[in-house]
Amino acid sequence: MSDNATNTDTTALQTLLTALADDEFILGYRNSEWTGIAPMLEEDVAFSSMSQDEIGHARLLYQMLAELTGTPADRIAYAREPGEFLNCQLVERRKLDWAHAIARYFLYDTADHVRVESLTRSSYAPLANAMQKIVREEKYHLMHGDIWVKRLAGFSPDARERLTSALESLWPDALGMFEPLPGEAELVASGILPSATSDMQAEWLEQVAPYFESLGLPCPVERDASTGRYVPTVEPVYGGRRGEHTPELAELWEEMTSVYRLDPEAVW
Amino acid sequence: MAVFEVFQQAREGKAFEHGGNVVAPDAEMAILYAREFYGRRQEAHRLWVVPRECIVEINDPDLLHPPAVDRSYRTVGGYSVRDTLRATRGAVAGSAQPD
Repeated sequence: MSDNATNTDTTALQTLLTALADDEFILGYRNSEWTGIAPMLEEDVAFSSMSQDEIGHARLLYQMLAELTGTPADRIAYAREPGEFLNCQLVERRKLDWAHAIARYFLYDTADHVRVESLTRSSYAPLANAMQKIVREEKYHLMHGDIWVKRLAGFSPDARERLTSALESLWPDALGMFEPLPGEAELVASGILPSATSDMQAEWLEQVAPYFESLGLPCPVERDASTGRYVPTVEPVYGGRRGEHTPELAELWEEMTSVYRLDPEAVW
Repeated sequence: MAVFEVFQQAREGKAFEHGGNVVAPDAEMAILYAREFYGRRQEAHRLWVVPRECIVEINDPDLLHPPAVDRSYRTVGGYSVRDTLRATRGAVAGSAQPD
């Protein structure tokens, strides 16, 4: 453990790492559901490979947690109950159509990029180091998202309509990515979390609002007169960071952990 | 959809080698997939992504594998000068021999 994280922050640090890892793990799982059925073979390979990237990031973070807690990473990933997962609800939403997959991934990736960038400056060295690697990998994901969003927005009326309705339904969930974390004040004070979730959200909206506006796509925000910051005009969906989830996570969990649960003590 | 051929340069200054191809609706997506297929594991320093239709191909065997006509007369090796010299010297020496 780094010198900068004292025992008093340990619980909050574990919460942060769990939230970050679970976001990546669950989204990686959902996106991997497109393996074999993506619209083109090339896209199938690319999308599957990006799902692997996300699960790889989750593994890195679970391993960090394993070192802090002494619980093996596999057990953290597969042996917790759904109510112990701290991912935002955005990532657990059931796979729908391709436009929905692209909309979700774009919202997630752009928000995650702000978060990863900020965490490269974390006072918790293992986390800062991991994020410096991840931030470079995310460049490709952002490029992929940008190309697909523009394509769906401009290709056919059907694609545009599907993208628009996916974004409308996903925005409240996406804002849930920046739900304040339990123990956040401590994390910010110790520099483990270099910017508060509310600051990261403002930065994210500053980046994506003009983008969506230029494409005429939904972005439910307005400028707050007193702070000059973008604020959402829809109610964010919170709860994920406290272990509250939709039944869609339980379904996913059932399948995701099914092999592990056959014999949790098995040595493979 | 179009086929794009992908060429990889392993290191700065090295020659590009053909890596394979990707099928994509346009150049933008071809770049996206070329990176995924041919540049994701640090195997390439630089990629060239070329629409297959832009490649001008020459595969005429008459041009590339011309028939094996003997053109040895164009090079020194084509002449058996040594043998000729030896034969000539022998003849001269033989004729100079006193009776």
